Amino acid sequence: MNLKRKNWIRALTAHPAPALNALADRLTAGCEIALTSLPQAGLGLLTLTDGAFHEPYYLGEFPLSTCRVELALPDGRRAEGGAQVMADDAELARSLAILEAILAARLPGWEQVSAHVESGAFQRSEENRRRCAMLAATRVDFALLGNTEEDGDED
Amino acid sequence: MSYVAIKGGGCAIAGAAAVTEYLRTEQGLAGGAGGPLQIEAILHQLRHLVDRVVSEGGVYHPQFAALAIKQSLGDTLEAAFALRAWRSTRPRLTATPPLDTSRMRLIRRISSAFKEIPGGQMLGPTQDYALRLLRLELMDESPEAFRAMARTWLESCPEARLPDTFPKVLDALRMEGLLPPITATLGETPFDITREPLIFPVARSAALATMSRAETGSLLAIAYSNMRGYGDVHPTVAELRVGYLPVLLPHPVTGELTEAGEVLMTECEVVAMFEPAVAGGKPVFTIGYGACFGHNEVKAISMAILDRALQKGMQDGPANPSEDPEFVLLHVDGVDSMGFASHYKMPHYVTFQSDLDRLRTTQQKSGDLA
Repeated sequence: MNLKRKNWIRALTAHPAPALNALADRLTAGCEIALTSLPQAGLGLLTLTDGAFHEPYYLGEFPLSTCRVELALPDGRRAEGGAQVMADDAELARSLAILEAILAARLPGWEQVSAHVESGAFQRSEENRRRCAMLAATRVDFALLGNTEEDGDED
Repeated sequence: MSYVAIKGGGCAIAGAAAVTEYLRTEQGLAGGAGGPLQIEAILHQLRHLVDRVVSEGGVYHPQFAALAIKQSLGDTLEAAFALRAWRSTRPRLTATPPLDTSRMRLIRRISSAFKEIPGGQMLGPTQDYALRLLRLELMDESPEAFRAMARTWLESCPEARLPDTFPKVLDALRMEGLLPPITATLGETPFDITREPLIFPVARSAALATMSRAETGSLLAIAYSNMRGYGDVHPTVAELRVGYLPVLLPHPVTGELTEAGEVLMTECEVVAMFEPAVAGGKPVFTIGYGACFGHNEVKAISMAILDRALQKGMQDGPANPSEDPEFVLLHVDGVDSMGFASHYKMPHYVTFQSDLDRLRTTQQKSGDLA
């Protein structure tokens, strides 16, 4: 898997939350989980740079859940993971932080997380493909009337 | 203004809620045909309604916006109110760094300033060129035809290799020295309209934030007054874009900017009348900016026009209502204005009794004089 860590959350969230929660529970059966930042659901404020004068302003808010965890295996191995996800679901943030930690440190079960990241990335690329198709199917080349040889013809 | 505490009416109020629920569900009496409106159906088939509510509610939560539309029976003002009520119960966790909209994953991009723009124009999903005629075939659309429509489009859509992002038209004009310079300074903190009251004069960031969550019709009405002659913005749409903006936040462990999700948004940049040269400079076009959550082009265009009108008003003093920040910004919020209008339905018995007394006294005095 070549996907960088910063892209894992987007890929993983292509899967339904219950599936991610179940995977995180399964993979941490023998782990000690320390919450270094409690799972929390709330709001984030979206700051934009305006296109005219490049001044920052707030466009509005969005649901946000965050969590940071540290996993400790019986053999002494440790891993840190964190997640900030656009969802009103603290449990999902906790699961994502766990999956992130497992994959980052190659803890047991990382292959399953990696497979989820890859299949999620594929779903996201399909989504992008559909959006690109909307653009490609509607690309327009306006011409001034009288400047083309056959006015009225569709190219 | 005088209010009076009242008591009683509890049964009637509960009854009113039950009657409203009856109307929402009465289709179920017809037999098997009438099922509840599914949130997914609202999200997809009434997407512009959802877009309007996320925008006017000021929170990008399409699922709860759809729920609010369902419970309010399609009343956008009530739905935006419910969404804002929900947001008021949630803690604010963080703010994103200023995000650059040139990173939007576009589904539509047009310019009325140039035929050809870098990256090209793409109409995307729009009804701009559709006939405004009723499509009567949708009156009795079969589930099979419904499913086939999307499948057919997907199967026939071209494989496209397009860039992930597209350059801004305004950037090209700025490079040619046709636009005013960038005024922003690094580290500037924007005005937060959800935490601070508007005390005039306000920063432009307060005006932009207020208009971003304004009621579409209110914003359009004031912008329209400017278009029709109570103002002289005369805009040209340099670029109108609709797409998904990645929401980036620092990763809790690595600190690297990481995508937490994406928001659908509309952005409009207009070029308006040029201004004479100021000392030592050249004449340049004036510009306006509008943006909102969801796909709502009329709102983004109206906001861009009003942004320019307000800049002019703040610079030279307002010459008409659309250039007056206090007039515009205090009258475009849907929840505020709906609340004020609705409060007139509440008991005003003392106020009106006072009016009656004064009228009778005045009539009596007039009669005595006559």
